[in-house]
Amino acid sequence: MRNPLCTPSEHAISRRRFLGAGASALAAGALGGLISPLAAEELRKREKQVLFVWLDGGMSQLESWDPKPNTTFGGPFRSIPTSVPGVHFSELMPRLAKQMDKLCVVRSLSTKDNAHSSGVERIQRGDPKTRGVPYPYFGSAVAKLLGPCESKLPPYVWIKPGGGGFRPEDAGFLGPKYGSLAFGDGKPPDNLLRPETLGEAQDEERNELRARLNARFAAHRVPTYTEANSYVFDTARELMKRADVFDTSKLPARDEERYGRHDLGKHLLIARRMLEAGVRFVKVTSYGWDTHGENFNAHASLVPKFDQAFSAILEDLAASGQLEQTLVIAMSEFGRTPRVNGHAGRDHWPEAWSLAMAGAGVRQGVVVGETNEQGTWVKSDGYDIGSLFHTWFRALGIDPVAVEYDNHGQPLPIAHEEMHAIKEALV
Amino acid sequence: MNPPKPLKPLSTFATDRQLTCARFNGDGTLLAAGCIDSTVRLWRVGEKELTGLPHLQGHHGWSTAVAFHPHEQRLFSADSWGQLRCTRVNGERAEVLWRHEQAHDGWLRQLAMAGDKLATCGRDGAVRVWSLEGAKLAEHHHDDDVFAVTFTPDGKAIVFGDQHGHLHLWDFNVNKLGTKFDATVLFKTDRIQDIGGLRVLTFAEDGKTLIAAGTIPDKGATIQSTPVALGFEVATGKQQHKFTHGAVKDGFIEDLVVHPDGFCMAVTSGDPGNGKLLLFRLGEKEAFDSATALPNCQAIALHPDGKRFVVASTNRDSNGNGRRMEKDGSYPANTSPVHLFELPAV
Repeated sequence: MRNPLCTPSEHAISRRRFLGAGASALAAGALGGLISPLAAEELRKREKQVLFVWLDGGMSQLESWDPKPNTTFGGPFRSIPTSVPGVHFSELMPRLAKQMDKLCVVRSLSTKDNAHSSGVERIQRGDPKTRGVPYPYFGSAVAKLLGPCESKLPPYVWIKPGGGGFRPEDAGFLGPKYGSLAFGDGKPPDNLLRPETLGEAQDEERNELRARLNARFAAHRVPTYTEANSYVFDTARELMKRADVFDTSKLPARDEERYGRHDLGKHLLIARRMLEAGVRFVKVTSYGWDTHGENFNAHASLVPKFDQAFSAILEDLAASGQLEQTLVIAMSEFGRTPRVNGHAGRDHWPEAWSLAMAGAGVRQGVVVGETNEQGTWVKSDGYDIGSLFHTWFRALGIDPVAVEYDNHGQPLPIAHEEMHAIKEALV
Repeated sequence: MNPPKPLKPLSTFATDRQLTCARFNGDGTLLAAGCIDSTVRLWRVGEKELTGLPHLQGHHGWSTAVAFHPHEQRLFSADSWGQLRCTRVNGERAEVLWRHEQAHDGWLRQLAMAGDKLATCGRDGAVRVWSLEGAKLAEHHHDDDVFAVTFTPDGKAIVFGDQHGHLHLWDFNVNKLGTKFDATVLFKTDRIQDIGGLRVLTFAEDGKTLIAAGTIPDKGATIQSTPVALGFEVATGKQQHKFTHGAVKDGFIEDLVVHPDGFCMAVTSGDPGNGKLLLFRLGEKEAFDSATALPNCQAIALHPDGKRFVVASTNRDSNGNGRRMEKDGSYPANTSPVHLFELPAV
């Protein structure tokens, strides 16, 4: 009998095996919900993309999407009208207020974890029911379900402050191939470009040799890691062809000005370039939002930078028409307490908080749900992260009920099976 | 010589919300405090007790600054939505004499008073001088969030300081900037967060030393920083003194007043639960007296008798992640106990 608690590596499967298993199962009619190669191909053709902006630590909903001015916990800031009549944002987001007509703001998030350590994982993995295997982050899930775009650039890229590298742990049971490729400080991996001393033909020969050796090595081994290894080389070669993506020096100075010269601005500008170049899923992380102390002065500094950069990329994606095919999400692992602590801070608050979405499959100019007058609790239906995963998959054209992962023959839902999509948020 | 006994309050008075600032009136019969529920709180001041008076309504957001006319029962108050107003306070009754809803565009951070003038500063980068009747007399537009303002001892000029720790002398009569003071040690950018550590500008009793108090930032987000007071020679702009206390968990000097005997009285707020009252002299390394059981102090006000003073701190257990409820099932709000102290006889 199988041990119900499996290790991630046992469940890591290759894309080929995954699709193959799905196709066989579909043909047999035994597990009709599994994704088929045809369905996968159809999904891929649509070239849907994702921009996922992660404000690590927890942005305050009260100082951003869901202000409660002049109330007990409302803080010092005013609210301002947006381009959608009756909808107000914090005064710290004047640019985004003008773009509310492009946004879908959910003000009724009610999640469970109030700790970073579990909250980040739980939110980004969609908190499925415990299956004994780690679920993939949303980026890995999209990389698996939609694969790379036609550009063949890596499907899941993470732009972040600090170090970079390949992050297989994001992929959970899907296997390391679906991990994120992190661009630390927005920079390409070290030694990405072919050294000048190495000719093109020489490089090609070396790669052929590497491929042959890899194939020989992989022949008698479980393909999970060997495929991932080859995959990293292959994507690196695709990246080499598009090194221009990282070269922001040729961009108009006005772009840098519009996005901001801070990390978040720079990284969102690179994110735009990556989306333009055909990366399927781009995650951009901004750290430093965990404002247990000095929440208000901190948000007075942080939120305008987010407002600047996020509104700039929304504006650009909309102007180029790319927003129609790109699902844009901005969120944290939770919101912040209505109560102001003694250090003028706000602590962690998963009970009633907000996120914003835009683009592919998402209604525009809509606010979903509401909190009570004091901003303490959700007044309407509360949505946990499982509902968001349903919503996002649907927005990308993936049916989260019909499509399942195949984990070595074990069908696993791609989103929490007891939750459902937020209908009001979807086109 | 034995160290002094830690200061203990004579009495403590409860409030139902958190306070932002506090000041006595000229004859010491009234105490006013700004509050995060937008009201201004008032108390009648007895020998050893405070008696609450009706709250002043009509501000928005947080009421952020209060100052009394030195000889009259006129209270000037400001809020985080930019309002500045003057209220005649007469016991239970209060009458608004004038009001500027938009004295500043948004967070009016501080106001200062000298003679027949008021000065204000705010997040909009403006520094303004007003008559006590509410007429705008002068203004300076600074390209940064202005955190603190004070008049020079002769009342002829102003010193203001921005979030980056740049302090400027401004002769508002001729609209000319003068001496600069470098308090940039009070500023740090951590990741994308600009941390402005300046909280208080005031002058030492000799009138020749400018005091800039606040914090030396170390890390942002869950902010870590060390309380500090800097002393600058006004004539040259050079820093002469640097008084620090504690460690990065001790946070900010949130408020500071100078006692007529020349020493500084400061209160701090650091990690939740961490707050101190410090009595110290610029130029000395250690505080000569303190009170440490005062969680997260926000304000200190010295009574005109020079003996009594109040400190507004925060209730214990003011922080915590997630769902924490009162016994009656309501969502908890924090409060600022007001502690009345008396300085020991020297």
